[in-house]
Amino acid sequence: MIKLNDIVVKFGDFTALHDINVHVREGEFFTFLGPSGCGKTTTLRTITGFIEPVSGSVVVKDRDITHVRIEDRNIGIVFQSYALFPTMTVYDNIAFGLKIKKLKKDEIDRKVREIARKVDLSDEQLAKAVSQLSGGQQQRVAIARALVTGPAIICMDEPLSNLDAKLRVQLRNELKKMQKDFGITTIYVTHDQEEALTLSDRIAVFNKGYIEQIGTPNEIYNFSKTEFVCNFIGDINRLSDEIVQKMIDAGAELKLSDHNYIRLERLHVNEEPKLGQITVDGVVEMREYYGLYIKYYVKVGSQTVKVIEKNDGVRIYEEGQTVSVLIDPRDVMAYPAQETEVET
Amino acid sequence: MSQTLDRKFHADWIIRLIGIAFFAYLFFGFMLVPCLNTLTSIFREKNAAGQTDPLAVIRFFLAGSMGKFVWNSLKLAILLVLTVNVVGISIVLLTEYFDIKGAKILRMGYMTTMIYSGVALVTGYMFLYANDGILTTALRQSFPNMNPNWFSGFNAVLFTMTFACTSNHMLFLRNAIRGIDYNTVEAARNMGANPFKVLWKVVLPTLIPTLFSLTVMTFITGLCAMSAPTLLGYDSINPEIVRLAGSSAADESFPQARAALLSIILAMFTIVLLTVLSSYERKGHYLSVSKTKAKLQKQKITNPVANVLAHIYAYILFIIYMTPVVMIIVFAFQTYSAIRLKKLDLSQWTLINFFGKEDYQYLTSRGKYKTRVGAISGVFSNESTLGGIKLSFILSALAAALACVIVVVACNYIFNKKHKKSGVVLEYALLFPWLLPTILICYSYRTFFNSNAVWYVGNQNLYYAESVRILIVMAYTVTKLPFSLRMIKASFYAIDEELEDAAKNLGAKPLRTFLRVKLPIILPSVLAVFALNFNALFTEYDMSATFASKYGTSYAMVIQNMCAEEGMYGYNVNASGRRCASTVFIMIVSGIILYLVYGVGSRDLGERLAIKDRRRKRMEKLRAAFGGGKESKSAA
Repeated sequence: MIKLNDIVVKFGDFTALHDINVHVREGEFFTFLGPSGCGKTTTLRTITGFIEPVSGSVVVKDRDITHVRIEDRNIGIVFQSYALFPTMTVYDNIAFGLKIKKLKKDEIDRKVREIARKVDLSDEQLAKAVSQLSGGQQQRVAIARALVTGPAIICMDEPLSNLDAKLRVQLRNELKKMQKDFGITTIYVTHDQEEALTLSDRIAVFNKGYIEQIGTPNEIYNFSKTEFVCNFIGDINRLSDEIVQKMIDAGAELKLSDHNYIRLERLHVNEEPKLGQITVDGVVEMREYYGLYIKYYVKVGSQTVKVIEKNDGVRIYEEGQTVSVLIDPRDVMAYPAQETEVET
Repeated sequence: MSQTLDRKFHADWIIRLIGIAFFAYLFFGFMLVPCLNTLTSIFREKNAAGQTDPLAVIRFFLAGSMGKFVWNSLKLAILLVLTVNVVGISIVLLTEYFDIKGAKILRMGYMTTMIYSGVALVTGYMFLYANDGILTTALRQSFPNMNPNWFSGFNAVLFTMTFACTSNHMLFLRNAIRGIDYNTVEAARNMGANPFKVLWKVVLPTLIPTLFSLTVMTFITGLCAMSAPTLLGYDSINPEIVRLAGSSAADESFPQARAALLSIILAMFTIVLLTVLSSYERKGHYLSVSKTKAKLQKQKITNPVANVLAHIYAYILFIIYMTPVVMIIVFAFQTYSAIRLKKLDLSQWTLINFFGKEDYQYLTSRGKYKTRVGAISGVFSNESTLGGIKLSFILSALAAALACVIVVVACNYIFNKKHKKSGVVLEYALLFPWLLPTILICYSYRTFFNSNAVWYVGNQNLYYAESVRILIVMAYTVTKLPFSLRMIKASFYAIDEELEDAAKNLGAKPLRTFLRVKLPIILPSVLAVFALNFNALFTEYDMSATFASKYGTSYAMVIQNMCAEEGMYGYNVNASGRRCASTVFIMIVSGIILYLVYGVGSRDLGERLAIKDRRRKRMEKLRAAFGGGKESKSAA
């Protein structure tokens, strides 16, 4: 569907994208994930045509569109700010692209009302100014405006970042549902790893203009290809040499020279070890109560490890209590030490 | 494909070249070259022996009395900074910060200078305080020994300008004080500071950047004062420049070069002050770090004595602001005889000062009665007054619109990322007139274009006959460019870059994006700038005085002339009344414009639609009530 081949983008002397290669499949929800300044929005803007790459090509349905004008690409976009025209009504915002295509008035009207119905906008809301709508409604207008011209692809640049936490979660679900209903190939940009994991069919993790890994949410989370990815996605413990040595002594195939990581939920407090698992003793240093789960900070030797336990209401450990921490060496993700150190 | 690309490329280049040529023509032709000509004219003078002597004028300046004008202007500027700040800060604190009874009415009084200023205001004050003014006449009846000319010269200028120049305080300082986070005041109170300590230590420091800008602007206003010194008789720089510009070498030594020297001195002061101001502004302001600002609440003055004194002070200021306004309005509807006697005659209300004409019979020195046909006439029936209004209206509207169009086109160019460097050059070119006092620009135009030798205007003498109107429009436009640029540029910042991208993505070409997306967003600001430009130019005095001629008699000059010609040989018998009426007319025009700009124009689409909706609902209700009434009647 969409192929980015060896894309290089430069701003003056600064290289923003280094040899980006991505293949997005038809109907897929594909997310570009990474911290700010990593190149994810630049890649998106290269696809939509706002940025022209120095080298490489953008191919959509076997057609090279690298140098095709923005308006001729047939790619819709939903901006971070929604970019709704403040001086037009909701109706005029949605109709804007159709008017440019010089469609007949009644056809424009039919299409606008049809898409409005699909994204749950009432006739009354269509007559309003965009400033009179709530954040969630504005987002739906932006989506309707991007979809009404019938694009092959829709690009979304952090469309949830302007909303409060509760609305963000609610709209995230709506977004996914809409994408499924429309069946449209979607490229989504976000720095929020939770958003990426819940929404995407596949994710490309960006860092400093490179792609670190492309994979399904499960692959990205559980089989992070690089140290950067494993650190960027979710919370994680980097294990001290002391603990790693203990696991090696117990027969685990780990190396002290590697950087060894384990996810918080893979550790357990006061559980009996099974075959291949080991336990280390520690003292509960601090406890964070989240309701759904509890996060413990356990001092093990010179290191504090973080452990998450489901809140079953029974096993709750107090600060200062001595506990054992259960580790399964098969859950450890190891990366060669020569890789760049990543701040955790 | 390559052919279309080529065509597009050519079209782009042609548009670009036209643009560059236009702005270069404007900058060099109407800003730099005329002003440079003024500068160099100082050094081209010939001495008594007929030889060119570059330093003749400067020697004359140092030896003669020209320094007096500079000193007088400086004295006025320095004292004005003090008095305007005292009054300006007072009126803002009294209406916005302290809890003073009747603050709303007080505010309206203090804001009257926004709807009448310049020559209209000065003549208004003269109507009250001049030797034959209402107040002076009334006072002389009680104190026959008082000097009837008490209101003239420096004191009169300082007094008038002090109250005339507080409009900026009412606009900018008021905004600044309303922007204060009230939580900071509460925090200071909570830590034990008394209200005056809070004012001194917390509130005023946040206002310093605004006050600094206001101080510089006031200083420049004082330095470049024109209408008040001219009408009230004070020898400052600007009136002297205009006088010298109209003088000839037969009457005095190199008048033109002296006028040029004075305007260059004024420009140097302005440049220094504005450089100081902009370097100060670049240092940054005290920005509020608060994300949840609390609205300022009025502070009660707890000390009863201080409270009473504050109220007395507030209302004395109110009286000073309002008396001329009230008197002008009242006397605009009085007959000439009541005005001459300076006595309100409640039986003599009339509209003659606005509309209509009457003949006037007077006794000649030979003891015969003579009738002057139409010697009493209203603003809208007196040919010269109406002519002035029409001329000013057309020229001001043209120039205000021209300045807006030029600046909008320029801003659209400046805000395109592709034109970074050339955009900066363009911006500075348009800001250039800011550095030059208006009088320098006018004087330069008057002398430079008063010849057939300027090739780039087709060897036409633009100061001659009707052409002077072109010159006035150009001067009006050029002097309004910096203000328009600052205001309209700010509105361009409000255009989210993503809006342009969105329009492009939906298929819109740059022209369509500009017309359908960007222009509607900035339009309220552009209209506001147009209105403010128009308001300022409509009664503008400096340029009017410089270009005054048979074909260039603008409204301000008409008003000024009305001060002098009253009743002589039975002509213009009701000149004072007409002057009052025309000031009322200015107030109405300015008031309507300000209402349209700040009231109607500032509403966004949402508010407009909401109002429309409310109106529709009201109509429906009315219709239902009306129709329902009918139905019930017929049912009965």
